[in-house]
Amino acid sequence: MIGFRNVTKQYAGAARPAVDNFSLEVYDGEITIFVGPSGCGKTTCMKMVNRLIEPSSGEILINGKDNKSLNETELRRGIGYAIQQIGLFPHRTIAENISTVPRLLKWDKKRMRDRADELLELVGLDPDTYRDRYPSELSGGQQQRVGVARALAADPPVMLMDEPFGAVDPIARHRLQQQFLDIQAKVRKTIIFVTHDIDEAILMGDRIAVLKEGGILAQYDKPEKLLTEPNSEFVANFVGADRAIKRLALTCVGDVQLEPVQGDGQQLPHVPEDENLRDVLAAMLAGGTDRVIVLSCEGEVRGTVSEQTLRSLFRAPAAERAASGAVQ
Amino acid sequence: MGDEPLIRWRWVRRNWSDEILPALGDHIVLCGISVLIALAISIPIGIAITRYRRAQTPVMFLTGLLYTIPSLSFFAILITFPGVKIGRTPAIIALVAYSLLVLIRNTVVGIDSVPRETIEAARGMGLTSSQILRQVELPLALPIIVAGIRIATVSAIGIATIAAYINAGGLGTLIFRGIDRDFPTQILIGAGLATLLSVLVDFGLLAVERWLRPWSRRAAARAA
Ligand SMILES: Nc1ncnc2c1ncn2[C@@H]1O[C@H](COP(=O)(O)OP(=O)(O)OP(=O)(O)O)[C@@H](O)[C@H]1O
Ligand SMILES: [Mg+2]
Repeated sequence: MIGFRNVTKQYAGAARPAVDNFSLEVYDGEITIFVGPSGCGKTTCMKMVNRLIEPSSGEILINGKDNKSLNETELRRGIGYAIQQIGLFPHRTIAENISTVPRLLKWDKKRMRDRADELLELVGLDPDTYRDRYPSELSGGQQQRVGVARALAADPPVMLMDEPFGAVDPIARHRLQQQFLDIQAKVRKTIIFVTHDIDEAILMGDRIAVLKEGGILAQYDKPEKLLTEPNSEFVANFVGADRAIKRLALTCVGDVQLEPVQGDGQQLPHVPEDENLRDVLAAMLAGGTDRVIVLSCEGEVRGTVSEQTLRSLFRAPAAERAASGAVQ
Repeated sequence: MGDEPLIRWRWVRRNWSDEILPALGDHIVLCGISVLIALAISIPIGIAITRYRRAQTPVMFLTGLLYTIPSLSFFAILITFPGVKIGRTPAIIALVAYSLLVLIRNTVVGIDSVPRETIEAARGMGLTSSQILRQVELPLALPIIVAGIRIATVSAIGIATIAAYINAGGLGTLIFRGIDRDFPTQILIGAGLATLLSVLVDFGLLAVERWLRPWSRRAAARAA
């Protein structure tokens, strides 16, 4: 567990603190998102965890110990870190870049090589094509994915990820986000993830910390709570006027209780069961219908869901929805 | 000189192993030693400057001052010092002094050229400062340092010809003797070999510089 205790960071010569009396708990095995407008102190908060920046006051506890009492380099080697500006080593190949921490930990050659290939696959880059290239031979988005692979290399229990998908195109980003969540479901790392994209925050976050100008924590809650009960006008504005629709994105259509199909339903739009309710609603609007057919991942018809069901779901909080199997 | 040939090849053949080759050898040793000593001084100072910026202005001022002293005056001043005899020593001291400016400057520029985010990523992954210096900063600075070595060596080869005047040996000896005897062959062989040496060193170190930068070479090849 990582605990921020009244952490303040005042940069020399700055008029006011970049982070101001910041306290929160990052829970083990969860993705905690830091989100907020540019310059609100997200990166500063993150860098205080692995001591790239020392707080002016307050402390950061890692498993109950003040991180100032821990050995700096050992602390950092145990925390995967993907920096906002990527920062690959220009003179090292992609495979060598990924193997940075494994080399520090003195893994043998074969293990490093296998791990690098495995991670390249994971971030969607063909190992045979990319492993021996230099960073300058990759696009910005590809470099960023290598940066994420490098952070994951030694399988650290804690990860700090500063806008790790910021330079990736929307389609690849969506795939990476999904993949990242799939892995996370298995490995359950403790992750601090910085973004300024509220949609990414809602998709990826187990908990979301919304920061505002001056490094002040505006709200720290689970995504559902943040969308239903923003605690201030700032948070409400930040999550957006469409927060009702964003809430729909939190639930998969496969988790909703479906109705049997009447007739052949051929003319209705079809959606896969792992589609979220926001996209299902979009499919209804696009198809000009008030009902869609839900298919299993194998492509078989599982049932149907109506616009009315979506409306009723919308009135119930997500927790209840999941618990009751969610029908009116 | 009448219809005498410009270069008397018979003289060249006869004096090749006794006079010309040893002079060439002396010249290479003189310049080589000087640049190596200068490097051994400049790299630590260059690294130190990147850590203590306050030292930069005074160090660059001082080495810049040394660089502006005309070479013959420099040699002359040095041999007036007690304990410094005429010969190779004052020549090496002067050549080292001339090389410091470019070598220190290129070390600093090389290390400064490493992207900040690269250093920060390295720190964040738990490299110690000495690991960052050896594994990140110096390898990335090396091509620029080699560019400095190239300039320093080529200048040293030129200036060293004058050092023959204070009995430091080298190709300058041939030139000065040729002038004394009014014998163009000797002058031209001395001057020609010095020029050839400069050109070879220039190309050789340029190749080393490129070889040390496989990342940008490959990227350029791919772009072409
Ligand atoms: N090294 C520094 N020295 C002085 N001020 C700094 C330094 N680093 C950041 N700041 C200031 O601190 C504030 C917070 O910066 P920080 O990088 O943490 O923001 P951020 O939330 O990560 O922004 P972004 O979304 O643009 O990355 C900014 O006002 C910035 O100008
Ligand atoms: Mg930032």
